[in-house]
Amino acid sequence: MTDEPSPIDSLGELMRAAQRGDGASYRELLRTITPRVRQIIRRQRGFAGVAEVEDLVQDVLPSVHTVRATYDPARPFVPWLLAIVRNRLVDGARRYARISRREIHVNEEDVTFSEPATNDDSGESEDAAALHAAVRALPEGQRQAIELLKLKELSLKEAAEVSGTSVGALKVATHRAMATLRRTLGKTRE
Amino acid sequence: MNTEDLIENLGQELRPVAPLWPPGRRAAAWCIGAAVYLGLLVAVMSTANARAGGAGVAFWASQIAAVVMGLLASRAAFVSVVPGLSKRSRLWAAVAVAALVWLATLVAASPRDFEWAAVLTTRHEWVCVGFIIIGGAPLMWMLAVMLRRGAPLHPAATAAFAALAVGALANVGACLSLPHANSAITFAWHGGVVLALVAVAALAGRFVFAWSAAR
Repeated sequence: MTDEPSPIDSLGELMRAAQRGDGASYRELLRTITPRVRQIIRRQRGFAGVAEVEDLVQDVLPSVHTVRATYDPARPFVPWLLAIVRNRLVDGARRYARISRREIHVNEEDVTFSEPATNDDSGESEDAAALHAAVRALPEGQRQAIELLKLKELSLKEAAEVSGTSVGALKVATHRAMATLRRTLGKTRE
Repeated sequence: MNTEDLIENLGQELRPVAPLWPPGRRAAAWCIGAAVYLGLLVAVMSTANARAGGAGVAFWASQIAAVVMGLLASRAAFVSVVPGLSKRSRLWAAVAVAALVWLATLVAASPRDFEWAAVLTTRHEWVCVGFIIIGGAPLMWMLAVMLRRGAPLHPAATAAFAALAVGALANVGACLSLPHANSAITFAWHGGVVLALVAVAALAGRFVFAWSAAR
């Protein structure tokens, strides 16, 4: 005879400590039950891949955490845990069925068309050159606003500090610059 | 996130929690609160001729059956949110039997020559419907708050038992505070509204008792 608690009793003991707020005991409990939970899930979901099993394990552990107050210290721990695992597995199966019903399988197609004209990217560089020219042609205040906000991607506050103007003035300058660019680039394309 | 990181995070956010009382004790606490509330409601709403329609043995038998059904249903609701409890199905069967007994007491006390088609014309019974639904709302809210501290293992069943418990006890309140012509009307109207409450609760259960909502 020995006074050491059995492994099953020790899980209950760890949970009791966890309910008192003992984080170390709680981590030990979760690390102890995780392989068992994983094993149960693998047995119940023989078709599930490694990632799916791990998803379900990660579904069970927060559930155990959420309802840890429902564990009665006077009762055995394992039936309590198994009831949660079973319930989460059923929920997982329902979720899977629901998603499968809504999913539409689409054949993988090429993302571009095979016609040569559609794969010609020379227009992009022409557009870029035209855009640079159009930006250079903007009045000083508008050009600075575009460079700071759109090209360097500064925030309005940061851009205002760098340019020494107000946030409001920057907004107006940006708006006017965008309108000018739209007009200029539209004419270029025509 | 890998599982080890998850365990670390759960350990870090761990706060002490008081284990919930056993289901029977929680059900008793709720029933005592419900009795006090309904007692006050009956005292305020009671009319002088409330029991003039029949305060005999049959009347009290149906009230006792409704109270027993309410007690059992509330206990079943609390049991349904505790993982790993055995004998759950026996309790659920007991609730079903209690519901049948309650309905049987009402049918047995109904007049033999009652015109059942006249049930729907007794418009004053809408007051009872209001009493059960509106008067029972605070009880339902209190019960839902208590149940949400548990595990949402069977949301539809939990909500249905909760509605049955509230409906049963509120029905007793309505019977004691408002006059009723006979048990046939009580059977149709009270039984109908309790059944409707249970059906609506069973449908809404998964929205009220969900793992994401559990704390």
